[in-house]
Amino acid sequence: MTISVRDVGEAKVVDVSGDVDLGTSGDLRRTLFTTLPLTYTLALNLQAIRYIDSSGIATLIEVLSDSQRLKKNFVLFGLSSAIEEVFRLTHVIRIFRIVQTEQEAVGGA
Amino acid sequence: MSPAIGGLIMRFVMPSDTRYLPVVRGATSALAAAIGWEESECRVIALAVDEAIANVIRHAYHNRSDGVIELECREIPEGLEVTMLDTGDAVDRAKICAREVGSDQPGGLGTHIIRDVMDSVTYQASPSGNRFVATKLIRKKT
Repeated sequence: MTISVRDVGEAKVVDVSGDVDLGTSGDLRRTLFTTLPLTYTLALNLQAIRYIDSSGIATLIEVLSDSQRLKKNFVLFGLSSAIEEVFRLTHVIRIFRIVQTEQEAVGGA
Repeated sequence: MSPAIGGLIMRFVMPSDTRYLPVVRGATSALAAAIGWEESECRVIALAVDEAIANVIRHAYHNRSDGVIELECREIPEGLEVTMLDTGDAVDRAKICAREVGSDQPGGLGTHIIRDVMDSVTYQASPSGNRFVATKLIRKKT
């Protein structure tokens, strides 16, 4: 798994690629929790993710919870049908703000 | 764990190390495809097996990588049977219980996936270790 962070206007976009599982989700968690305080809009690009398991989904739930506490905007984009299936299996898809494109994710940032 | 005559069978004896997760996912998905599932079903079967192993690593071995996990995936007339053995701590079922649908809490997601994907799941603890058995039925085209 590789992770990088870039600025798009006022927003931060985190690009992730590869597999997010029990062995790698800790790195994603650290990056997201480090980046969240630095921006109002944190957009997570999942387009290059090949795989995500429940530890990855749990990480995203934790970040979402923290973003709500801090009144920040945490948004996901670029979900493939395979990744969306994991969200569907865990019944959490409705708790996230999920959009199709980066433009929508950072909208006006 | 005895071999199934004529059926496909795959066995791993591996350390409780997360680096084996992608290895097992790839092999499980390929085995499921060989048995006859479509690609999307192979993905979720591999996901369920991954979640079962991850539960053992986290809860039985407390993230230690020096435990031993034995995994057997075998074709049965009805589909696939997955058996996993470990010698870690007996798992408190309450800690890995399936979550409520729609919950916004992060715990219990893996167990929820396993139960959702597989058709039967049993856990058994004994003095010699923990045993997980799950089956997935295949709907053959008629």
